Amino acid sequence: MLRHMNKGTVIYLLMFLLLTLLPLVVTGRSMQFILIQIFVFGIFAMSYDLLLGYTGIISFGHVMFFGIGAYSTAIMFDRFEPTVGYLVLAVIVGVVLAGIVSFIAGILTLRLKSHYYAMLTLALAGLFLVAAEKWTSFTGGNDGFTFGLPDILRDSNMIYLLCLISLALLFFGLRRLTASPFGKVLMAIRENEQRVESLGYHVLHYKVVASVVSGVVAAYAGVLYIISLRFVDTSVFATDFTIDVLLMTIIGGVGTLIGPLIGAGLVEFAHHWLSGLADVHWIFERWIILYGTVYILVVIFFPLGIVGTIRAKLTRHPLRKRNDLKGVGS
Amino acid sequence: MNSLLKLNQVEAYINQYHILHNISFDVREGEVNVLLGRNGAGKTTTLRTIMGLNSVSKGTITYEGENIANEKPHIIANKGIGLVPEDQGIFADLTVGENMSVAMKQENAESTKRLEWVLELFPDLKKFWRKPGGQLSGGQKQMLAIARAYVNENELLLIDEPSKGLAPVVVEKVTESIQQMKDQTTILLVEQNFLMASQIGDRFFIIDNGETVHHGEMEALKTDKAMMKTYLGIS
Amino acid sequence: MDLLFVLLINGLATGMLIFLLAAGLTLIFGLMDVLNFAHGGLFIWGAYSGVWMYHVTNSFTVGIAAAIVTGLVIGLVTEKVIIRPVYGNHIQQILITLGFMLVLQELIKVVFGPSQKAVAPPAFLEGSFMVGDIVLIKYRLFIILIGLVVFFVFAYIFKQTRIGLIVRAGVMNKEMVQSLGINIKLVFMVVFMVGAALAALSGILHAPYSGVIYAEMGLEFSILAFIVVIIGGMGSFKGSLVAALLVGCMQAFMAYYVPSLSLATNMLLMVIVLVFRPQGLFPVKG
Ligand SMILES: Nc1ncnc2c1ncn2[C@@H]1O[C@H](COP(=O)(O)OP(=O)(O)O)[C@@H](O)[C@H]1O
Ligand SMILES: [Mg+2]
Repeated sequence: MLRHMNKGTVIYLLMFLLLTLLPLVVTGRSMQFILIQIFVFGIFAMSYDLLLGYTGIISFGHVMFFGIGAYSTAIMFDRFEPTVGYLVLAVIVGVVLAGIVSFIAGILTLRLKSHYYAMLTLALAGLFLVAAEKWTSFTGGNDGFTFGLPDILRDSNMIYLLCLISLALLFFGLRRLTASPFGKVLMAIRENEQRVESLGYHVLHYKVVASVVSGVVAAYAGVLYIISLRFVDTSVFATDFTIDVLLMTIIGGVGTLIGPLIGAGLVEFAHHWLSGLADVHWIFERWIILYGTVYILVVIFFPLGIVGTIRAKLTRHPLRKRNDLKGVGS
Repeated sequence: MNSLLKLNQVEAYINQYHILHNISFDVREGEVNVLLGRNGAGKTTTLRTIMGLNSVSKGTITYEGENIANEKPHIIANKGIGLVPEDQGIFADLTVGENMSVAMKQENAESTKRLEWVLELFPDLKKFWRKPGGQLSGGQKQMLAIARAYVNENELLLIDEPSKGLAPVVVEKVTESIQQMKDQTTILLVEQNFLMASQIGDRFFIIDNGETVHHGEMEALKTDKAMMKTYLGIS
Repeated sequence: MDLLFVLLINGLATGMLIFLLAAGLTLIFGLMDVLNFAHGGLFIWGAYSGVWMYHVTNSFTVGIAAAIVTGLVIGLVTEKVIIRPVYGNHIQQILITLGFMLVLQELIKVVFGPSQKAVAPPAFLEGSFMVGDIVLIKYRLFIILIGLVVFFVFAYIFKQTRIGLIVRAGVMNKEMVQSLGINIKLVFMVVFMVGAALAALSGILHAPYSGVIYAEMGLEFSILAFIVVIIGGMGSFKGSLVAALLVGCMQAFMAYYVPSLSLATNMLLMVIVLVFRPQGLFPVKG
């Protein structure tokens, strides 16, 4: 079987296998928790990359899909029973809801300039946040609520494995999708929308499908996130998460899939360490400044992100040097 | 005769597409030079590139002895080059008068006199002075676009398909106005309407697939059926 | 009846503040095609620097002047350093201005401290008049007045001056403006600075109105401004006034009757506009 895979796939598979063994070595609770967060946000960031990096769509409300997944799981466990059956049901509900919402948002605004989708998603996410705050009988409002987990997930190693396996499957799945003819069309849309339209493709359809797939994957990330916390509150709809995931995607490298994973790792560790350094110097309490600054510098000087920049150096392909963000959505 | 503008092996891209491969020609002072070629050959791109709206990746554009390739559009405009774009570029919400004011580089006795002369050329513009540019008819828009280029004392006018989509009577009017300008400035005209082109043109250049393939005297082209057929699709 | 009137005045005052913020945003968008997510940062910098000066000198007028100067300076820096490298690329603009917004917001905490600051109106604007049974709070009328003055001054500039005409022409067709010999970059810079100054003015005026200032209010308030820009039509100055007053009144009435839903109603309004009339109420012709 290995013979049929390319070198990249083998390396990625090996890396995921190594990560499976990591809990044997890393036993610290907090380190394991950080790794779980990286996996969860890695998935979330990949979903964002499909939108931003591959199709050239920018969303400011991506967190709403994440929140939809989170709440559907939490409510399902809270209202019914924390069993694997309900978990599956929760995933289905979350995914379907996210699919519907992203479909509607996409149909409405993806034919317009890129700002409109950004603004509409921002507004929709705001509405979801308000709904979560107000519909207290269901969501517990701002205080949130805790809930039990299915027996099999009581062991945090199992959560670790669940998240890792999900990440691996989605990574290979999305990699396949983006390498398929469908993915090629998405990238062509990112480069020059009119051109693709004039070649006879129905650009809107492609963009809407990308937006739906992305929303669905983000909802699944929300499911995993909430399982890892065993607690839900309205913060799962907060714009901060959208900004985080944007940053992960940009720093890691848009349009690379692996980049956002690396970005997720960096940002999560940075969060952890920089807030830990607050005792050392007050400036670290204001770590968002560093964060914002790094981000601005990346956008100006390394628009390809870490992975994109390395790849461009390695291949020295003249066209790859034209940064991937340029020429998008004008 | 003096050469006012000279393109030498100009190449240009739009985004990543290589559109102009090798454009070379010489615009002589005081003449009407016509750029001919099929749809999509690169005529509009050539004019835009001269104007600085499109960057030059190779080659030189010499204007009055100076290389203006990749100079900013407003600097090129202030050297005395005016553009009448293919889509006319009317400011739709501004009135005819306001469109003219934006175009006028200065306001003094001399420029006012010039404005009056332009309005005599196009009386319609005077009539609709307070009407928003977007509400003019196609022909009136074309006249406004030309008037904006005439109102300053430009040495070179780049005019892109002024007859496009206009009724024959209006085309005559436009042709007449270009003939009036002929004595005062040099003109580089893109025109698909061969009748019009042959009436006012002194010389021609043919562009095909982003390359200049032929040039010569307009008189000679009129009788060269083979060339017209090959490059212009006229039989 | 009285209540309705009071709410209306509140709504108009809030609307005018949003208008000042949205006017710059919509012009910058219309002319430069830049959606500036850092605009709220200029608002808070105007508020903080203005209030600081106001407290130091005890003169609100000096405070306003300081806010405007701050707006012009930060506007200049933003245009040159942040926006210039990414002209013509929407995605990079959105990303970079968002990052800059975060930086501006956090820098406020570094420079002025992280806690909220209380601000009172100056003595000459404190208190209220009575007209019949209706209480008119002076400071709110003052905001409405300033908003109107700004609107009419700018309307005059757009209609009657060459720079105003150039800006309007630029909103419709930038390339043509350049082809007519006008240095559009210079125009961009001026408009960006003026837009930033208006945002800063909005910030300082907002301070005594809300009574406290804090760093996060920039982002909160600028979301209203974005809603206004979309409802009014991106690039339309007049549209930004009408939509701002609409949103301001909606905000005031909802805040009284159903306080928890005031932002949500405005968001909903924007969604409705996006769906049925994405070009906004006063579309700008291209
Ligand atoms: N924005 C664009 N993106 C990609 N290709 C373009 C663009 N604009 C023009 N082209 C292409 O450039 C070529 C030359 O166009 P143009 O200069 O407008 O031709 P002409 O004026 O001779 O009809 C055409 O093949 C056209 O398809
Ligand atoms: Mg053409």
